[in-house]
Amino acid sequence: MDPGIRSLVLSRLEADAPAAGPWSDLVLAALEGQGALETELLGGAKAPHAEAPRTAPALAGAFLRQVKVEGFRGIGPLQTLELRPGPGLTLVVGRNGSGKSSFAEGLEVLLTGDSLRWKERAAVWREGWRNLHHPAASLSGTFLVEGERGACVVSRQWETGAAFEAGAASAQLHDKPSSDLASLGWTAALRTHRPFLSYNELGSLLDEGPSKLYDALSSILGLEDLVEALAALQEARRSREKATKDATDARGPLLERLRGVADARALQVAAAIEGKEWDLGTVDGALGGVASSGAGAPDADVLRGIASLEPPDPAQVKAAVAEMRQAADALRSAQETAASRSRDAAALLESALLYHATHGDGDCPVCGGKAALNSAWSKRQREVARRLREAAREADAVHQRAEAARRQWEGLAPLKPEAFTRAVDLGLDLGELVEALGTWVKAGSISDLGALAEHVESASGPLREAVVRLRDSARAELGRKEDAWRPVAVEVAAWLKGAREAERGASDLKRLKSAEAWFKKAAAGIRDDRFAPIAEKSAAIWEHLRQQSHVELGRIQLTGEGTRRRVALDVTVDGVEGAALGVMSQGELHSLALSLFVPRATLPESPFRFIVIDDPVQSMDPSRVDGLARVLETASADRQVVVFTHDDRLPEAVRRLDIAAEIVEVTRRDASVVELRRALDPVGRYLEDALAVAGTADLPSSAAARVVPGLCRLALEAACMEVVRRRRLSRGEPNGEVEQALGQAERLLQLMAMALFDDVGRSADVLARVKREAGAPLAEALKQCDETASPAAADALELARQSSKLAAWLRGLA
Amino acid sequence: MKRDDSEPRQLLALADGLLSRADPATAGLWPRASALLALGALEASVLRLWQGRAPDLQGCSMRTQLICLRSYLGDAKLAARTGLAWSALSRACRHHAYELGPTAGELRSWFSVIGELVQKVEAS
Repeated sequence: MDPGIRSLVLSRLEADAPAAGPWSDLVLAALEGQGALETELLGGAKAPHAEAPRTAPALAGAFLRQVKVEGFRGIGPLQTLELRPGPGLTLVVGRNGSGKSSFAEGLEVLLTGDSLRWKERAAVWREGWRNLHHPAASLSGTFLVEGERGACVVSRQWETGAAFEAGAASAQLHDKPSSDLASLGWTAALRTHRPFLSYNELGSLLDEGPSKLYDALSSILGLEDLVEALAALQEARRSREKATKDATDARGPLLERLRGVADARALQVAAAIEGKEWDLGTVDGALGGVASSGAGAPDADVLRGIASLEPPDPAQVKAAVAEMRQAADALRSAQETAASRSRDAAALLESALLYHATHGDGDCPVCGGKAALNSAWSKRQREVARRLREAAREADAVHQRAEAARRQWEGLAPLKPEAFTRAVDLGLDLGELVEALGTWVKAGSISDLGALAEHVESASGPLREAVVRLRDSARAELGRKEDAWRPVAVEVAAWLKGAREAERGASDLKRLKSAEAWFKKAAAGIRDDRFAPIAEKSAAIWEHLRQQSHVELGRIQLTGEGTRRRVALDVTVDGVEGAALGVMSQGELHSLALSLFVPRATLPESPFRFIVIDDPVQSMDPSRVDGLARVLETASADRQVVVFTHDDRLPEAVRRLDIAAEIVEVTRRDASVVELRRALDPVGRYLEDALAVAGTADLPSSAAARVVPGLCRLALEAACMEVVRRRRLSRGEPNGEVEQALGQAERLLQLMAMALFDDVGRSADVLARVKREAGAPLAEALKQCDETASPAAADALELARQSSKLAAWLRGLA
Repeated sequence: MKRDDSEPRQLLALADGLLSRADPATAGLWPRASALLALGALEASVLRLWQGRAPDLQGCSMRTQLICLRSYLGDAKLAARTGLAWSALSRACRHHAYELGPTAGELRSWFSVIGELVQKVEAS
């Protein structure tokens, strides 16, 4: 997370505070990544965002002093690229494959641990990072940092045979102990202000369509964090929308399934979810079986009630019938005894005594005897009644036994009628039971105990059978219903899980949508803010680079997002609006990439005071190279600009335009032995080489004598070209025509004729004029150099010296 | 025009030595220097062929000599490759705008052609 981006978002959130809602936490969490966002949505532990990674302030104002590369890509034995720390332009020139790009890549890998130019490539590309000729691999860079007294050395080393990723990086700031790379505080800046640019990196991206270009430019802006945060918000929203959609989609088939199951729980669940609002609590209840005892599941209750019915127990029936019969016998014999008579007489007397006690003395209501009922009578008769009752007790016991025996039938089949009320609805056949029961309850109206015993005995069998049959069919029905429900219940449970997620998501969704909407606007705002100064400078640089291009570049804007993101370029071709990139050549696209790169890498907030550009001249036509040289000159006013280039066009332009620059040449021998040397202009370089060969003791003199004339000829040719170019370009001739004219001269004397007479046809007059104006020895040297087959020179050292003088004379002409 | 007849094999060995042997004294200058030596080796070898077979050709332009090589060398393919190597080497031995010196790989491939040529001429 780039703290810069974070604070930008924070300040926008604060500015929008009145509008900000409970979603603002989501925005902050999204900046921390997908994981943090989900935690926030779960209401989990709030990470202390604001206090989050406050690393040491970046070491700012770093210049490059040295890059050391060993055993890495094209470079075998350790080689050091010495640079002049401080603002200025350095050109590192070498043929393709000379190892120059290995320095550029090495520096990028050193600081970032990776190289953008490998990122998109096949594994084999990445695996080739090691130099085949040299087992040890290491990179190191020395930086001078403004405000620091000593140098800062960053190094990365690999064990023999170690994988690319295993390279260990360390950083050491002068006298301080060695630390890890992150301690420099450059990690974020390396992304936001990437000080490296290789041309295949941006050049290829420009070909790949508007969204790729957008990505390339927004990576230039260092806004990946915003893009990632927005993606996190969108992903969170999508996952929730998907949960709702999935649950809704699955509901229809589930409902259909539920309705096909004859089970109260199925109907209950169906009722709970068929509406717009789902009652997930009820669904859960139906699954957990909690509802089976509630009012909501009467069917199962009825079935369960019937299933638990007890039929009359044959042993009990038998015992009851026996008792009834015995009691009936006892009753019959008691009626024939005196006890029975006494019991009846006692009852009569007790009634008379009650009558007397109630109505007082008087006539007997039974026999009519006058004043028969009085106190004396009462007293006498009470005693009589007591004795009679005594005598009747035996008969009472018999009667009570009979009564108890009669009641026994009721207890034999304790059937609750409510158990049957809904049984018919459930499809149970009650006919048999109703009939058996109808017969059975007739027992209530049988007064004769013997007849009752007979009835109970005969009716209990059918009743028992009816109850057992009903009970069994209820039990079977119950089992059937469970079997039908169980698989549906599993489906319901699965659906419930998703539905719960959807339910939770529904509440998040509102916040997420608000956060996303706000964030989109904020991100676009930040993007525009950050891009504005770059766009301005880019347009200025484009003006330099376009040269004879008909393409005029107006406003550059990053617009849209998601799949519609693109780069809007106001391009006009000869004043007519054009289809942006479609009208641009490869060279123009590269120039555009460069126009965008340089401003971003040189923003004041970048801690890097250096920029490294690898091969910017590819596919640029010569006139544009002049513009590039000017752009680099402007950038090098306050930045250290290091440019790697594969041919001499840029150095030539720099020399011709008299731009202060240091030029380093890279050459690579066999076995990846790479050599570096400071280069003078070509004339000086050839002459220096000639003197070196002539003077070196290592080379046999025969070889020197053969090589020196050739090198001197090269020097003179270069001097002539320089003279011709300078003269003709200052006359305003187009560069292309000048080069074409120079191409016509095949021999040294023809070039000399162009330099001396501005006429390629006057080679015959050259020697005479040199002899006349520069002296005979120099004319003689020129003759030696012009020998097409480069004969051996009699005195190589002398020839080199005379050639130097001749070159100086030539250059003084124009 | 004075023609050189240095030992072609020796010149080629010198050129190869410059290329192969890392030496601070020749750092950076060897691409052009060994090209110059190799060009010398090639031309000397061709001259040597004429000495025995057609002395008149020694005075002709190199272009003419290379064309005639096809019929005298007895190996048309090698003659054609020699022609290519010659024009590449002589280009490397002239100053051309925006061009840098030849690479080690380029020089190696030219050297091998010259090596074959030298052998062929010595055998004939």
